[in-house]
Amino acid sequence: MNKREPAWRVFAGEYNDATLEVKGSGEKTPSYVITPLGAKINRVFIVGVLTDVEPISEGGEMLRAHVSDPTGVFTLYSGQYQQEATDALQRIEVPSFLAVVGKTRTYRLEDQTLYVSLRPEYVREVDAHIRDQWIIETCKHTKDRIHAVLEAKKMNPANVYDLNRLGYSKELAEGVVAAVKHYSNIDLHRYIAMIQESLQYIVPDREQVKTIVTPKREEDKKTEKMKTEKMPKASDKIKSEEKNDPEGVVLEVIRSIEDEEGAAWDEIINKCKEKGLTEDDVEEALSSLMDKGLIYEPILGLIKTT
Amino acid sequence: MTNDRDDDIQSYINEILDILSEESDKPVSRDELEREFRRFLDYGVPVEQTKQTLIKKFTASTQTAAERMLIADLQPNLSNVHLLCRVISVNEKQVTTRGEKRDILYGVIGDESGTTRFTAWKKFDIQKGDVIEIKNAYTRGWRDMVQINLSERTSVEKTSEDRLMDQNIEPKEYKISNLRSGLIGIDLTVKVLEIKKREVDVNNVKKNVYSGLIGDETGKAQFTSWHDFNLLPGDVIRIRGGYVKTWKGIPQLIFDEKATVEKLTDTTITENAAETKQVPLHELVERRGALDIEVEGTVIEIREGSGLIVRCPTCSRVIKNDECPTHGRVKGVPDLRVKILLDDGTGSVTCSLSREFIEELFGDKVKEWESNTQSDNNSFIIDELHKNLFARRLSITGNALSDEFGTAIIAKKVKMKPFILVDEVESLTKELEELA
Repeated sequence: MNKREPAWRVFAGEYNDATLEVKGSGEKTPSYVITPLGAKINRVFIVGVLTDVEPISEGGEMLRAHVSDPTGVFTLYSGQYQQEATDALQRIEVPSFLAVVGKTRTYRLEDQTLYVSLRPEYVREVDAHIRDQWIIETCKHTKDRIHAVLEAKKMNPANVYDLNRLGYSKELAEGVVAAVKHYSNIDLHRYIAMIQESLQYIVPDREQVKTIVTPKREEDKKTEKMKTEKMPKASDKIKSEEKNDPEGVVLEVIRSIEDEEGAAWDEIINKCKEKGLTEDDVEEALSSLMDKGLIYEPILGLIKTT
Repeated sequence: MTNDRDDDIQSYINEILDILSEESDKPVSRDELEREFRRFLDYGVPVEQTKQTLIKKFTASTQTAAERMLIADLQPNLSNVHLLCRVISVNEKQVTTRGEKRDILYGVIGDESGTTRFTAWKKFDIQKGDVIEIKNAYTRGWRDMVQINLSERTSVEKTSEDRLMDQNIEPKEYKISNLRSGLIGIDLTVKVLEIKKREVDVNNVKKNVYSGLIGDETGKAQFTSWHDFNLLPGDVIRIRGGYVKTWKGIPQLIFDEKATVEKLTDTTITENAAETKQVPLHELVERRGALDIEVEGTVIEIREGSGLIVRCPTCSRVIKNDECPTHGRVKGVPDLRVKILLDDGTGSVTCSLSREFIEELFGDKVKEWESNTQSDNNSFIIDELHKNLFARRLSITGNALSDEFGTAIIAKKVKMKPFILVDEVESLTKELEELA
């Protein structure tokens, strides 16, 4: 019986941190990417915002696309051997929520840096509810992996048998043992923070939650207009908080000035300066918002909300 | 100082184990290795030399000496294999090799570690139940399994029952979730959930067998007893002795008068024996099969063959163009099904949901989908199934079984199982505070 590879739930932040790869030698021995938290990945299931799709070969048969989650961005390469996925990526409007089942894909630079991306097997447009469900599930799985790494660190030496007996799957146990060996000083706090940020993303009106995520998420893209009408209220609220929430300010500014094409970079910076932010604050907020998938850059120099 | 030395020793031992695992098929115990290693060091042998000596010693021993092996440790393509085992089944067959007709034997042998198939290229005098010692056999891999071959040069000797039973098969404690095909010497404490008597014919002798369902806190299994132990539903019993047979991964415990069955008065240990247990998918895939379990996961694929289908009215097989391969030209019966791949991030199983379940999940919408779907084009209904089922979380209760295509669940109950976001966020936040 050929065992089907499980589809791991992993945030882009964790996946892109991976520098360890186990190369298989053929059909029967698949390749894996091992993340710092020990996910031993051959296949993933991810849900995020499809932010852009572009052809990267001359005939346009190879596409590169980006799917963003609250922690970072997945890069997808889809070609003629993934015809269905390639067709779907061409058809689906940007931005939209996308679910992807895909395989790991790696590329090693001359200096040995490992670049990880995904080769989609199956892509499908989904709604915000499904994206939220995925974030919750991925938070749980990330948390489980953190626990597994902590358990492994208690063992001397870390071993698959004991981890398996604690209830972790054989794949995770193997991945964690390899991760503990390969990655020196796994920064668990980084991943705890990833989960926390992702949770704040889901339930916006909790105490710790910044205003950034309030308006857009629960509503459908089609109710865009209603939202602009609601805007003044939202920005009133922001004023009192703007010092400690530059991202919220920047997001509101973009929303207030963007048109079909987006909002010009310079204009965003000027407006935000009026609101008391420095240029550095704004740039930092923009890149963080981009990572979260709340904004994207359709054309160089123009920013648009998702 | 001692600590430094200990660390060094551990790292040398790791190195040796790595090398041995590549060079030899026989596992070497870490403790044994460490003991030997320290003894060399105590005599002042330099570490590097100790390492080389031990590698030589352990690889050599597996290549020349034919020590008795356990079935569980067999690898493909070994020669000079020595086993002590029981013949679980043996059959005769005539095969033609290179134009020559030959009588061969095939069947299953087992020891305390497990069972395997064998093929004997010579008619050895062996019967079901015999305890035999096999020397100079060889193994071959066949479809993920290791098979043992007895050739002209193999020696097979009947040996005393005690050598296998009394010395080696001290019943070991198991839970139902750990029962795997071929295990023998089972020590299991369970509640009898169902029991039925039936009469069978064994070599023209009528015999009563008792079969049914048993459960413990980890799951349920079928059982067959070839002896009347006066068991009643609700009894909590400890069975010592017996072996496990599986059908598509679903375990069945088989025992007879040689087993000891003790009725227990303390019934608390199996209080929840009748309940349906929830199983993570990696565990289910590893167990291969299970009775009455619940799984939760996300639908990550709507598979080929979903949507409106036509079945043969006689055999229910899915047919095309009203033509059944078995029953010829028939008037096909339209039906609806969806084949899903359910994945919980640790493993995946397939499940085919019948019309009944689809209607239970989506109600009147199903009729609407069907009326909008042409008989020769499923794309409308497939699209609706995607919108309503893909990437959604389901809970499925039923039996699980495995074949060469993987593990599947035969659903008895299906429901949507979305996360309640607020609750999940709250509990996760709490857990993270503990972590941080």
